[in-house]
Amino acid sequence: MSEMLQQIKDAVIARKRLEIQGLVQAALDEGMDPDTIIDKGLIAAMDVVGKKFSDSEIFVPEMLVSALTMKMGLDVVKPLLLKRGDSRSRGTIIMATVKGDIHDIGKNIVIMMLEGAGFQVVDLGVDLTVEKLVEQIETIGPHLLGLSALLTTTMPEMRRTIDVLREKGLKEKLKVMVGGAPVSASFAEEIGADGYGADAAEAVELARRLIGQAPG
Amino acid sequence: MKSTAYNLIMSALYKGMKGDRPPAGNPTSIVCHGLMDACGVSFPEAHLNSHAMAELALAGHEILGFDTVMPEYSVDQEAAALGCEIDWGDRDRMPDTRFFPHADFSDVKVPEDFLERPSIRVVLDALSSLRRHVGGKAAIIGKVMGPWTLSYHVAGTQNFLLQIGMEEKDKVKKMLRQLMPATIASARAQFQAGADIVVLADHATGNLVGAYHYEEYLLPVHKELTAAIEGPLILHVCGNCMDRLEMFADAGFDGYHFEWQVDAKAAVDKVGHRMCLVGNVNNAQVLYQGTPDDVYRQARYAIDAGVDIIGPECAIPLATPMENLKAIVSAVHEGY
Repeated sequence: MSEMLQQIKDAVIARKRLEIQGLVQAALDEGMDPDTIIDKGLIAAMDVVGKKFSDSEIFVPEMLVSALTMKMGLDVVKPLLLKRGDSRSRGTIIMATVKGDIHDIGKNIVIMMLEGAGFQVVDLGVDLTVEKLVEQIETIGPHLLGLSALLTTTMPEMRRTIDVLREKGLKEKLKVMVGGAPVSASFAEEIGADGYGADAAEAVELARRLIGQAPG
Repeated sequence: MKSTAYNLIMSALYKGMKGDRPPAGNPTSIVCHGLMDACGVSFPEAHLNSHAMAELALAGHEILGFDTVMPEYSVDQEAAALGCEIDWGDRDRMPDTRFFPHADFSDVKVPEDFLERPSIRVVLDALSSLRRHVGGKAAIIGKVMGPWTLSYHVAGTQNFLLQIGMEEKDKVKKMLRQLMPATIASARAQFQAGADIVVLADHATGNLVGAYHYEEYLLPVHKELTAAIEGPLILHVCGNCMDRLEMFADAGFDGYHFEWQVDAKAAVDKVGHRMCLVGNVNNAQVLYQGTPDDVYRQARYAIDAGVDIIGPECAIPLATPMENLKAIVSAVHEGY
């Protein structure tokens, strides 16, 4: 790996948000391929960050700053991708926190990671009613829906959301992944979700896998 | 010692005489739809009206059989009094803070009439009412938010955590310090109003922040809080806090209310000789989705492990079946 790429990767891991844009710009100026910067620099760094998080070496405050640093780096590269007509989109994902729950940190980190990994993500925010969700799914036609809940008190809403999607005939048209502190793989299976991610890195992996299987 | 609800809880809090059985207690909400229906009081009324609040708390003791009454169901009472905008929710939804008045980390000043603001007054009045009804019979538990949780409310959770990640240490410490008077005033007033015990909830949650964050930012604050508030305090922090249990004891709390993610036996081994342990029946998989048998087994595991007061790990999902809550009570009534 080139020294420049290593520096970009290290900057994301070490949360050097004030340096990242200069480093990415310098790499671009040197003629480095934007995809390489994203995949082998920014995203590769977030894989390391995700691992450190899973190992309890770092926690959400550090993860947030690393994700922010990655996003700042992406912001430098993205205009170039658009210019050459490469959307890099690997699929469209709708993300939301279910009704009754306004917690969104986990969801926000997952979104930043998904965007970094090349997915087009539509963030429908928090406390999302099923009605609004149905309307958006019909309009956007995503490949994947990601639902988040932090509170055990809102877990029933996840079940209800999936039930409504099934009733409306939308469940066959997309995959659903769920996550959040109280959620487990067995709960995901029980409510009819297609997958569960324990953390942001797992969510990205799951999205790759599920979108590979998505109908259409 | 007479094995009354009150005696069992207070004795367990100080790890004293054991009585006929372990007590069942709820430092956080045990309100579910069934309980609301059974006593004819519902959310959001029970957050805003002291009679409704007390009525619902009594139902936990009289209908479910818990040895405690705890009338504060939300985490937003102080936040409302500090100027946050609160959506008080409905029957199916817990309240939430919607507007963060100090997202810019501007100075927080606890208002002079803080204790008279409606969201605080309602809790104090409910505690006084409970004192008149079940004082000396059931243990009355109050609940206050610590400065860490209040920071989430006044600055926004993500924003607050981001500042920690950016190592804006002075900013973070100043905010915690400026919020301490709200916690102290609220806790002291709850004791004066009739609480036997106050739960101090401060969500430096395991998995969200590390033990090193707790040690740097919150441990010194908690030491000051436990010194300033004289009555018995039970700390509530969610998540897997195995890595900081000893710090909770060092902070001077009389008890710790913990989640199932911390194994009951391991917790007792680590700090059982230094503080009362309360919990830790799992909410998501067991109380909400499990059967009364599942609940019973987990409660018995906690009793056998030496947990002092048995109850749900945290505020329960509103759709939790009443039979599952009663299974905790059945488990403690079998004795040690």
